[in-house]
Amino acid sequence: MEGLAGAALAIALVGLGLWTLIVRRNLIWKLLGLNVGASGAVLFLVSLAHRPGARPPIAGLGPGPSADPLPHALVLTAIVIDFATLALALVYVIFLTESRRTQDVRRLEREEGEWPERLGGSR
Amino acid sequence: MRALAAVALALLLGLLGLGVSGIFPRPGVPGGEEVAEAWGAKNVVATIVLGVRLWDTLFEILVYAMTIAGVKLGLRRLRWEEPLPPVAETPLLRRSADLLLGPAAVFALYVASSGHLGPGGGFPAGAILGTALLLLALAKGVERLSAELREPTLEWAEYGSIVVILALAGALLLLGRRGTAYFIAANLLIAVEVAIGAWVVLHRFALSRGEV
Repeated sequence: MEGLAGAALAIALVGLGLWTLIVRRNLIWKLLGLNVGASGAVLFLVSLAHRPGARPPIAGLGPGPSADPLPHALVLTAIVIDFATLALALVYVIFLTESRRTQDVRRLEREEGEWPERLGGSR
Repeated sequence: MRALAAVALALLLGLLGLGVSGIFPRPGVPGGEEVAEAWGAKNVVATIVLGVRLWDTLFEILVYAMTIAGVKLGLRRLRWEEPLPPVAETPLLRRSADLLLGPAAVFALYVASSGHLGPGGGFPAGAILGTALLLLALAKGVERLSAELREPTLEWAEYGSIVVILALAGALLLLGRRGTAYFIAANLLIAVEVAIGAWVVLHRFALSRGEV
């Protein structure tokens, strides 16, 4: 039951995150949505590992079924890479905001312009 | 556009729901005892991360290091025209952070060195140490802390730990060596790499603060 509740919450989080990513026009909101979606994916993997009455995947904790260790290992990768890519994406947002003075994707797509000298000059 | 996005999202979420619905058979999980005996680590997750799925972990470390280098180089190019606003300092917070850093570092060391026996490992330990450094930076001020933690030394430690991890992993892949010492060494090195990477990101973002 806990696994199903976790999976339902995870699916809701993924839906919320992806909806924000697609619909919002502000880049910071899009990154926020991406991060919420990634958190939902992490929760989904953890709830996939859940088995009723299972013990943690550590030897010597007694008999009985164990939780699936593979999703837990995948989650470690997801969390670390999510943090690093979010940081890099924020750097690009800072650059865009510095050069175009907007975070609106429609305006960014519409407007063309030179990059300021302190960001490396021409594109 | 919104209708299309809604349909695509509904399909994706339905697919995720199918995954947990119990329609598809779930694979059996091998017993922890056999894994522990074969690899010398009681924690099966640690065995997967540093043993069975080692290539994936190595490339994850490389991707992490590359994105951190990207953040560092990208923010280094930004030069603010106006001086940075000073960070307010409170003696109580500074003293508390000073006192908490030691226990946090010891806990991170414990989590890294016992990650093969129970919950823990290099990645959580690095996150703990990085968070402790962030707390200290908030309390003491970023400029003062970055003067104390010399950046060239940190860069050497970060890239040095990656080289040693790669050498260790190469030795493991070539020689097929398994054992407790390998897990402890790999977890400690990953903790160093993750903590320094997290510090570099937070430090660079803090130095780039200002009005955009």
